[in-house]
Amino acid sequence: MLEVRNVSKNFGSLVAVQNVSLLVRPGELRAIIGPNGAGKTTFFNMISGFFAPSSGAIVFDGEDVTKMPAHRRVGRGMARTFQITEIFPELTVHENVLSAAEVAAGQRLHMWIARADVGRAERVVAEMLALVGLSAKANRLVGELSHGDQRATEIAMALALRPKLLLLDEPTAGMGDQETYEITGLIRRLHRESKFTIVLIEHDMRVVFHLADRITVLDQGRLLAEGTPSDIADSAAVQAAYLGDAA
Amino acid sequence: MSSTATVTAPVEPPAQWRRLLPVAAVWLALITAPLWFPLMGGYTALAGSVLVFGLAAMGLNLLLGFTGVLSFGHAAYFGLGAYGAGLTLKYLAASTPLAMLVGTLLGGLGGTLFGMLIVRRRGVYFAMCTIAFGQIFYYIAYKWNDFTGGFDGLRGFHREPIGLGALALDITDGDRFYYFTLVVFTLAVALMGLLVRSPFGRTLRAIRENERRARFLGIPVERHIWLSFSISCFFTALAGTLYALLNNFADPLALHYSLSGFFVIMAVLGGMRSFWGPLLGAAVFVVLRDFLSSWTVNNWMAFLGAVFMLSVLFFPRGMLGMLKRRGVE
Amino acid sequence: MLTLILYNVTNGLMLGAFYVLMALGLSLILNLSNVINFAHGNFLALGAYMALELTKVIGFWGAFLVAPLLTALVGAAVELLMRFVYRRDPVYSLLLTFGLAFVMQGLMLWWWGPTPQEMHMVPALEAPVSSELFFITWYRVFMVGIVIAAVIGIFAFLRYTRVGLRIRAGTLDLDTVSALGVNVRMLRTFNFTVGCLLAGLSGVLATGAIGINPNMGDDLLMPSFIAIIIGGVGSLTGTLFGGLLIGVTAALTAAVYPAASEVVIFVMLVLVLLIRPRGLMGEEGMLS
Repeated sequence: MLEVRNVSKNFGSLVAVQNVSLLVRPGELRAIIGPNGAGKTTFFNMISGFFAPSSGAIVFDGEDVTKMPAHRRVGRGMARTFQITEIFPELTVHENVLSAAEVAAGQRLHMWIARADVGRAERVVAEMLALVGLSAKANRLVGELSHGDQRATEIAMALALRPKLLLLDEPTAGMGDQETYEITGLIRRLHRESKFTIVLIEHDMRVVFHLADRITVLDQGRLLAEGTPSDIADSAAVQAAYLGDAA
Repeated sequence: MSSTATVTAPVEPPAQWRRLLPVAAVWLALITAPLWFPLMGGYTALAGSVLVFGLAAMGLNLLLGFTGVLSFGHAAYFGLGAYGAGLTLKYLAASTPLAMLVGTLLGGLGGTLFGMLIVRRRGVYFAMCTIAFGQIFYYIAYKWNDFTGGFDGLRGFHREPIGLGALALDITDGDRFYYFTLVVFTLAVALMGLLVRSPFGRTLRAIRENERRARFLGIPVERHIWLSFSISCFFTALAGTLYALLNNFADPLALHYSLSGFFVIMAVLGGMRSFWGPLLGAAVFVVLRDFLSSWTVNNWMAFLGAVFMLSVLFFPRGMLGMLKRRGVE
Repeated sequence: MLTLILYNVTNGLMLGAFYVLMALGLSLILNLSNVINFAHGNFLALGAYMALELTKVIGFWGAFLVAPLLTALVGAAVELLMRFVYRRDPVYSLLLTFGLAFVMQGLMLWWWGPTPQEMHMVPALEAPVSSELFFITWYRVFMVGIVIAAVIGIFAFLRYTRVGLRIRAGTLDLDTVSALGVNVRMLRTFNFTVGCLLAGLSGVLATGAIGINPNMGDDLLMPSFIAIIIGGVGSLTGTLFGGLLIGVTAALTAAVYPAASEVVIFVMLVLVLLIRPRGLMGEEGMLS
């Protein structure tokens, strides 16, 4: 599904990511972890098209997207959430997800739409809201909701795009235990039941080990290790990287 | 997520008919304007000005209020519309529809082309470019005395009756022209309303609310901003043609960036985030300016400027914005 | 013939000097506070009027020193109002200076009237440099000299003083500067004041060149904008070069084809927007 080949990123003389490769199979849930400053978000930004890599290639679903602008990657089936939730704060939950659904239905330029199409987009919205559990709050302004609900809205928006790949940047960032538990459950459902391919960045190890099929570990911009959760848990190198950082 | 402790009842949007009430009131006021306006010390041409500037400001607001992009140079397209119409009537043909068409196209296409140049810029830089570009046309109109009448403005044309023979619609009369303007205004505004309520309109709002998120929903942001810019220029140019027809006159000040600033003030004063806000702002502006300039010949500018500053400082959401806060849609 | 060319070029260079001074002030304010000071031309006029009044009291040289400072003080007072709108959408700060321009113009019109007034120049300065180059008076030399001194002063200030460093850092990332403990509000006020100081200085210098009236600064506002855009938004050096470039180009055009000398700067603007939108020295991705 997603293949990243030897990708690097330099910002002037600062090397943020160096020669990292990745292969994610359809239906897999991959977690990317690593100490602070490991280059995880930069890596993510390259995959999602926020900026282009300095070198290397990104192949998505068989297509080379290395130079493709972000909005076209979305059209190809990549959807992403951000560490700091990016939603439309002064619109309602419903309107937020509707924007996504309309884009996915190819309606973003339409000046008018037929009734049938209205129904189609609305059904998608209803479905997504039910999936994330926000149906009851559909008419609330997103800016007024709790952090967890905002994140869920963002996920619903990503899902409304009918993506082939879901990129989640620290989905549990800034959440308390209860919210973390619920988001984790949501992601698990999306993975197991709806069979989405998911790549996520996470700091919370409980979440990572609970969800991931495979884990990629980055440290200082380089690929440190990759394997199943038990491989990573046993790896001395990974422990050293984290402990060294915490010192 | 049903984890939050308090569950507030979701806000119900007001019933359909209640929504239409203010709109109906507005239309009623506009249709009967030639009757009550003069009683309040106004005159029909002033009411016409309200419609003209209101349309221009609403056109700008498509870009400013709905897409979240600030243009401080929209007078350029207004003026192009005015001069386009005036020049057509003076040199090409005594046809009002043709004049309006030429003017609207001139301003609209001018904006479309210019928009392409600056669509990657944002914020204050974008605004600066719009100002500078607009001044090019002001300068041309000002200097090209022979063709455009220079500083004194373009004269020697007047609005012509529309149609042929028996079916001619004579709009040379002031009151008749007011109703003509109202019809054009209504059609334009209806089209705008359609746009705003459509998925395209929602996409623009998404860009306004969070450009990054819009981009990551798959929206080609630059292209949409360009489209929004372009469409807003067409509406403002149309308003410009009406201006020329209303006054039988086009002047360089219709192109000057100060007029652009007035359009922005109208939108902000009335409420950027509402559809009708700019019309209300235009009404206040036109009436206020008319009143002030007859009251104190020399100082009206200072008072007007003071009004701007005060409204920016204390009423940033504008009149309709404040009303919305209290739950009135 | 040569004299005519020299005459036009000299005029152009003088104009260019004003462009540079005004554009620098505008650029300073724009870069740090993200504000277009629409009233910048009015500050120029204010400086001129102050000089006019002060000359009657403390003579030309006294006025020359004090008038720009007084203008700067007014700028400082105005900037306090702007604090209300900084954290909001940029449209509000633009409208605030826009309204301010009207207020200032109206007030000056009311107080001093619309008739242009003349400033009585120090006789020594009115004398021409030589009988051949009769159009180059000592005043013009003096003016250009002051502008050069001012430009050097500003760049030195930004480069070598602590406050200058903070301003430069602030134009890049104001949040970080704030996080480092710098009082950003005072920094902005100071920066705005310096910008107005330059405008006031321009006004004082202008008294020897053109008649004093409330609109005198307006004709310099647009070229200043264009100088900033051509030079590259965000770069003060760019603004300097932009100002010089349009000044020189206008001067040369005036020597060859006088009628086009004003429109040529607009042509340059369009060319720059087409070919190199970020300006001569602007940075890639200069979004806002």
